[in-house]
Amino acid sequence: MKNSNKDMSLILRFISHIRAMFYVFIDEVKNIFKDRGVVVIVILAVLVYPLLYCSLYMNETLVDVPVVVVDDSHTAKSAEFSRHLDATRDVKVYSKANNMHEAELLFNTSKVHGIIYIPADFDKKLNRGEQAIVSVYSDMSSFLYYRALILSTNYVALDLGKDIQVQRLNAMGITGEQQAVISEPIPYESVILFNEGMGFASFLMPAILILIIHQTLFFGIGMAAGTAREENRYHELVNSSVHRGGIFRVILGKTLAFFSIYMLWSVYLLGFIPWLFNLPHIGNPFTLLEFIVPFLLASIFFSMTVSVFVPSREIQMVLLLFFSLILLFLSGISWPQSNISGFWRLFGWLFPATFGIQAYFKINTMGAGIHEIVFEQTGLWIQTAIYFITTTIAFYGQIYKKRNEIQQ
Amino acid sequence: MSKNKFSAFYKTFMRELKRMGSRPVYFLGTVGVMFFCYVFFLSFMSEGQPDKMPVGVVDLDNSPLSRQFLRNLNATQQADIVENLSSYTEARKEMQKGKIYAFVVIKDNFEAEVLSNRRPKITFYVNDAYLVAGSLLLKDITYMSELTSGAMKQKVLKAKGVDESRIMGIIQPVSLDTHLIGNPWANYGVYLLNLLLPGVLQLMILMLTIFAIGIELKEKTSRLWLRTSDNSIFVALMGKLMPYTLVFTLLGIIGDVLLYWYMGYPVHSNILWMFLTTFLYVVAYQALGILIIGITPVLRDGVTIAAFYGLLGFTFAGFTFPIEQMPYVAQIFSYLFPIRFYFKIYVNQALYGLNIAYSISYLLALIVFTVFPMFVYVRLKKAAIYQNYPIK
Repeated sequence: MKNSNKDMSLILRFISHIRAMFYVFIDEVKNIFKDRGVVVIVILAVLVYPLLYCSLYMNETLVDVPVVVVDDSHTAKSAEFSRHLDATRDVKVYSKANNMHEAELLFNTSKVHGIIYIPADFDKKLNRGEQAIVSVYSDMSSFLYYRALILSTNYVALDLGKDIQVQRLNAMGITGEQQAVISEPIPYESVILFNEGMGFASFLMPAILILIIHQTLFFGIGMAAGTAREENRYHELVNSSVHRGGIFRVILGKTLAFFSIYMLWSVYLLGFIPWLFNLPHIGNPFTLLEFIVPFLLASIFFSMTVSVFVPSREIQMVLLLFFSLILLFLSGISWPQSNISGFWRLFGWLFPATFGIQAYFKINTMGAGIHEIVFEQTGLWIQTAIYFITTTIAFYGQIYKKRNEIQQ
Repeated sequence: MSKNKFSAFYKTFMRELKRMGSRPVYFLGTVGVMFFCYVFFLSFMSEGQPDKMPVGVVDLDNSPLSRQFLRNLNATQQADIVENLSSYTEARKEMQKGKIYAFVVIKDNFEAEVLSNRRPKITFYVNDAYLVAGSLLLKDITYMSELTSGAMKQKVLKAKGVDESRIMGIIQPVSLDTHLIGNPWANYGVYLLNLLLPGVLQLMILMLTIFAIGIELKEKTSRLWLRTSDNSIFVALMGKLMPYTLVFTLLGIIGDVLLYWYMGYPVHSNILWMFLTTFLYVVAYQALGILIIGITPVLRDGVTIAAFYGLLGFTFAGFTFPIEQMPYVAQIFSYLFPIRFYFKIYVNQALYGLNIAYSISYLLALIVFTVFPMFVYVRLKKAAIYQNYPIK
């Protein structure tokens, strides 16, 4: 009898905890929507940023980069080279210049991003069976110009060369099997796996999407905490009775509020947006779920820990916005992870975004299953645990400080 | 400036210096952030170009010839063979884990088929999800393959008694002689850091300009500020922002020096032009900061708008994805970003070393931005006097 009483009271206490947590949760959601500054970050920014960035990068690869051709050869063969070049997807022949000086002028005024120089002896050399040389001058102000120019000119030179090669070998009486062995002794095939279109948006946007989650949570939670600090209502965060259960209730209630909002956002950001803009989206939804849960939790606890040190509403964004860029590079999708020095790699492990970007990239762009992202997933769960503990300590510290102040 | 005005300016200037010492945000937001970024990015990309990236091999032949081939691959600048895998499936999994960026499959009987002229195929798989690693490896592997097969072709032709002078004409009738203007090593750091660091600079200029003004409104000290500057909003702004002009210009020039001298990045024009550009760039962004806080004299809103606009600057500079390949509307918007003009001047001067005449219009464009604050002088002055905006 006594025992069951104890059970009952335990259950009642449990229910009351849940109810209390639920109220904190509702309260917190209300708080979020009451604060215009926070709404701008966790609602408006999340909604608009992906649409904006995806539209800007809509053209995945460069199309028809203008180049100028200086054709000193003036022959059918040189005209063919320039025509083939114009026919490629990457490059278009903007105009033909009479000399290099004219071409340079076009280049210097950014009318063209490359100069193709076909020397006077081009045709002569081809007729004599020698190697003809075409000079290519590439704009190096952007990596993508360089890539477009190299890819297209290489393609044209090889393509044109192949025909000439066949003619020459035929003339020498080398045909059939023998000819094939000479022209291509070991056939190579390069297959591009994942992001087959070599698209820029497909490469950058997945990382941006994860960063949007991470950073809006970070600044949103920070701003909410800064407001509370300014209005000196930290007591409201912790309610009146500060007992052991209280602090967890507060932390879990706040967490739940942001977690549920961002679960919805995850569907939008990681599911809808990639579908809408035709970014890679080959990830299994369940694998995505297995990654997104620890990612959101780790990001929320990380932000809550940092938020304790935020003295006012705006300071965090003033000082730490630039860090979005650092996070992008730490993630290792641009500069490869294998080439990041040990120190910076360890430093990157402090932030949920580092694991988050890699995991999302692997699942959604490369079709990885849960086994391939064990490392990232473990990292995120460890961060969740550690940052939960630091949040608890930090909140306790706050209450302790407050109490001392009140007593004095 | 009359003597009165000058003394007002001086007093405002000194007042701001004192304020800057009163909170850590001023030091952290200028010297702190910029030095962190200098250390971070310069050490992060000190290699210039990512070399020796991990690749895997599936060598089903394991013959002297296949091993020779792999040794050649391993000797290239960018590839580093780190894993021997047993099958395509396993290799693909390793790629999904991110452990390798490319792998090569050599079929069994490779050597036997080469020796009997049956032309066995070698297949490379490159992961272009990591665009930089993928592109560089693809280039390197293609180059290596061409070399290897070129050597084989040469051998065969020689054996046939073809004259030495004609061999190259047969192997490769049309050859390319490629010149990479301004950045002959295709150094990746040159692409990125020359704009990333000024990018961070503009972000911090916007933030601190808005903070320095906005905090006066928020903490209701703005009347005192105006009184110090003899009730002239122009003097008030000049006196307040001059310390930041000096600090940020200095920080920007330190950045120029680090990139052009310490890292040895290309600077083919007089470096003084870049110093001048840096100064105009700082002032242009300060002017935009005034404009933003003038339009919405609420610190929080100002900071949020600056965040939005500042981050877009990295895109609209056009150094990653070229502007003219963006949708037409976006191209028009790019003119609203001083960093766009900075990029143009940097390319013309530092990268290509053109005559300054090519950059005059861009320099003028930077100066035009300094006119913008005029539109909000009255509004800002009223806000400073009446303090009638929400502070939250």
